[in-house]
Amino acid sequence: MTTINGAAVRKVVIACDAGMGSSAMLAGQLRRQLGKHSVAVEHTPVDTIPADADVVICHQGLAERARISAPDTIIVPIQVFIGDPAVTRVVKAVQTGGDLDG
Amino acid sequence: MDDRLLAPEAVRLDEHAANRDDAIRRCGGVLVEIGAVDPAYVTAMLDREQSISTYVGAGVAIPHGTTAGKAAIRRDALAVVRFPAGVDWGGNHVTTCVAIAAQGDGHIELLADLAELLLDPERARALHEAADPDDVRRLLLSSAPN
Repeated sequence: MTTINGAAVRKVVIACDAGMGSSAMLAGQLRRQLGKHSVAVEHTPVDTIPADADVVICHQGLAERARISAPDTIIVPIQVFIGDPAVTRVVKAVQTGGDLDG
Repeated sequence: MDDRLLAPEAVRLDEHAANRDDAIRRCGGVLVEIGAVDPAYVTAMLDREQSISTYVGAGVAIPHGTTAGKAAIRRDALAVVRFPAGVDWGGNHVTTCVAIAAQGDGHIELLADLAELLLDPERARALHEAADPDDVRRLLLSSAPN
C-alpha cells in the first residue's frame, strides 16, 4: 500500500488499452476539474505508464496489469467512467490536500 | 460545427440490432460508410468489447477498436447510432452508441462534453430523443473547437 497527499500530486494517468474511448473521456473530464490545480492529466496504454505518474486510474479489469507496469504508484481501480466515487475521491484529495491510498 | 469529427451523415437515429455484437457491427458499418475506417476495424471493435465493456452509463455505450486496430483507421471520426428499441449490453440497456475511431486526441473535448451531458438527466434525455441529427450534433459539439 502506497500513500500520497493530494497536494503533492502533479500527474494523473488514466491507463487503458487503446486509449481512445472511456479513458479519453475520463481524461477530458479530469483535465477540466484538475487543470487549475497544476495537475497534468494523461491517458496512456496500461503497459507504458510513465515513470513520473503520481496516481494511476484504470478500469478494475486492468488494475493487475497497471500494478505490474507501475509497482510504486498509487493505483485507483474504477468500475464506471462517469461518476465513479473513486474518481471523486482523487479529485477531492487534490482539491483539499487529503491523503490517497492505493 | 465540426463536420469532419461528427458528420451529419454519421448520425443515425433509427437503427435496429438483435444483440450487442450486431449493434457494434452496425456502428462499425457507419464508420466504414463515411470512409473513416477500413472494414478490419469492425473486428477490432468486437475484440475490444470482449475484454471490457464500453458501456459508460445513462443508456450510452462508446464502442471503439483496440490498439492493434488503429492501423485500420483512415481519419479520426465519431458516429452516433441510436437503437430506439434498445440493446442488451451485458446487462445494461443501451439506446445510444457513440462509436469512436481515433488515432489522435481531437475527440477528447467532445467525449468530456458527452460525460457532462450524461450526468444531466434532462440533456441525456435530449440526446436519446432528439428527432433531428443536427440537434444531436449540437448537443455534442457545443464546446468542441471548430
